Amino acid sequence: MIARLGSIALGIALLPLLMPDGSFDLYPFVGARLPLHAGFVDLATTILIFGLFALGFNILFGHTGELSFGHAMFFALGAYATALYSKGFDATVGPVHLQFLGSGNAFFALLAALAAVAVWAWLLGRLIVPRSSGIYYSMITLAFAQVIYFIAFRWSDLTGGEDGLQAIARPAVPGLPAGWLDDSNHFYIAAALVTFVAVVLNYCIVFSNFGSVLRAIRENKQRARFLGYDVNKYRVNAFVLSALFPALAGWMWTYFQQAINPDAGSIDYSGRVVMMSLLGGINTFAGPMLGAFVYWDLQNRFARFDRYWPEIIGLVFVFFVLVAPRGIAGLIAALRRPSRRAVEQAEA
Amino acid sequence: MTDAGDALRTADLSRTFSGFKAVSGVTLEIPFGGVRTIIGPNGAGKTTLFNLLSGLLPPSAGRIFYGDRDITSLQPHRRARLGIARSFQITNIFGRLSVYENVRLAAQAVYDGKAGFFFPSRSMRGVAAKTESILGDIGLGAAADAPAETLSHGDQRRLEIGLVLATDPRVLLLDEPLAGMSPTETQATVDLIGRIGDGRTIVLVEHDIDVVMRISTTITVMQTGQILAVGTPQQIRENEAVQRAYLGGLA
Repeated sequence: MIARLGSIALGIALLPLLMPDGSFDLYPFVGARLPLHAGFVDLATTILIFGLFALGFNILFGHTGELSFGHAMFFALGAYATALYSKGFDATVGPVHLQFLGSGNAFFALLAALAAVAVWAWLLGRLIVPRSSGIYYSMITLAFAQVIYFIAFRWSDLTGGEDGLQAIARPAVPGLPAGWLDDSNHFYIAAALVTFVAVVLNYCIVFSNFGSVLRAIRENKQRARFLGYDVNKYRVNAFVLSALFPALAGWMWTYFQQAINPDAGSIDYSGRVVMMSLLGGINTFAGPMLGAFVYWDLQNRFARFDRYWPEIIGLVFVFFVLVAPRGIAGLIAALRRPSRRAVEQAEA
Repeated sequence: MTDAGDALRTADLSRTFSGFKAVSGVTLEIPFGGVRTIIGPNGAGKTTLFNLLSGLLPPSAGRIFYGDRDITSLQPHRRARLGIARSFQITNIFGRLSVYENVRLAAQAVYDGKAGFFFPSRSMRGVAAKTESILGDIGLGAAADAPAETLSHGDQRRLEIGLVLATDPRVLLLDEPLAGMSPTETQATVDLIGRIGDGRTIVLVEHDIDVVMRISTTITVMQTGQILAVGTPQQIRENEAVQRAYLGGLA
């Protein structure tokens, strides 16, 4: 456990150095003296946020064996909840007038984001889990994500419609000067700390007794049920837990971008997180984070061919699905210890 | 539940598949203890009866009781928690997980919902000890780290009995546990069934008549969804209706 979490911590700490900015002598902790190119630190922050998103998604996909094709709805819901909490809102639904002045307290914004997503994911899970699995499960999560997407798109009074919400201030950090987080390097440090705490939480969930039952469900729902496990209860709980990490990622994303628009809940975002997870390897703990890194790193390297990016990532994706279905982490593991690793991975 | 354990009973139990009566008006009492075997020609409704008893299928009519409790509409996982466990005709295990993890998951099921469920897996003492002891019982201790899907057919069948055992059942429903086994594997499994019978009820569906005659306390014979005869192996052997149903006769 220490080794695995330690290497993830090291990876997070060194991530900005891996960014292709041409020099390797820089690090955000000494940012003032050796300025990293802000664009590349921001790329590293993006990787962290999407890595966390994918890691949560993988509780469901890799460990429980259920493919949600609409996980961006939780990312968007977390992001919009944060934006609305910081900016306030003033909207009317029928006879009800909703008004809130807004607050710069990031902690309460996080609670609002998590609460909103937990309630929505629980209701949705209760609705779809007993009624669907396999491809139907994927389709119905996709359908609900589209509902959320169009609400964000259409309900302009609240969400700002297509333009979304802008000019969201980054929160103040107690004990540090005002505007500290406005610096890219500083924001990376804060995001890295939050991400690491979330990674540890995710690790505890995945390798708990609870997590082991999820893998039993992935392998054989019927057998798990006949051992005495309330399989649908576990599936609902896995759904809710796997939605909370994207909510946390959405919370960071809003402060990071200082703006939010409906794209965050689009099919594109839902699909990306599936792709990242598969690229990295869904049957290993850190695979999805590795996938987020590879995805964004590739996109950045091919920035010149921006127009063809969907084709490029599509080919990479097809290559992995056909040649290395266990992803990059699977390839690495296969190179290390062929037979034993296979078991450990199935259990991971 | 009393110390003596509870009887499993059905009252006028039926199951119809689009007009076809797979199980038809079966009233049956399986008292606690001993080995009850259900035999009958193919299509007699044995497996359907198992599916009704374990909750895989809801009955079309009739009731099922465990002791005084009506369990007719209980979900399978609730029946398992009451102590009614089953194995399947087609091997049903967690293929990509290790043999150890398979048994551990079964042993852990007893603690479902209790505190500690978010603690690291493999941390529960009772579960680990139970797992080790079951692995010894089913003779798979040496294969503990292997993925379950790599075991031989016979070992997979025995692993499944191990899973069933690890849930602390009072009633074991074993659906053709000997199917497809070599003579050596068959003998080992028969011995295993003999060893685990203490303080439990074992209900078997089995085709190997020699074995059935040897290990059963009571035999129920089914034909076209109904009960044809109930009796000791000796009584069944001598029953004329059973002889006719099996054409060539028994033994």
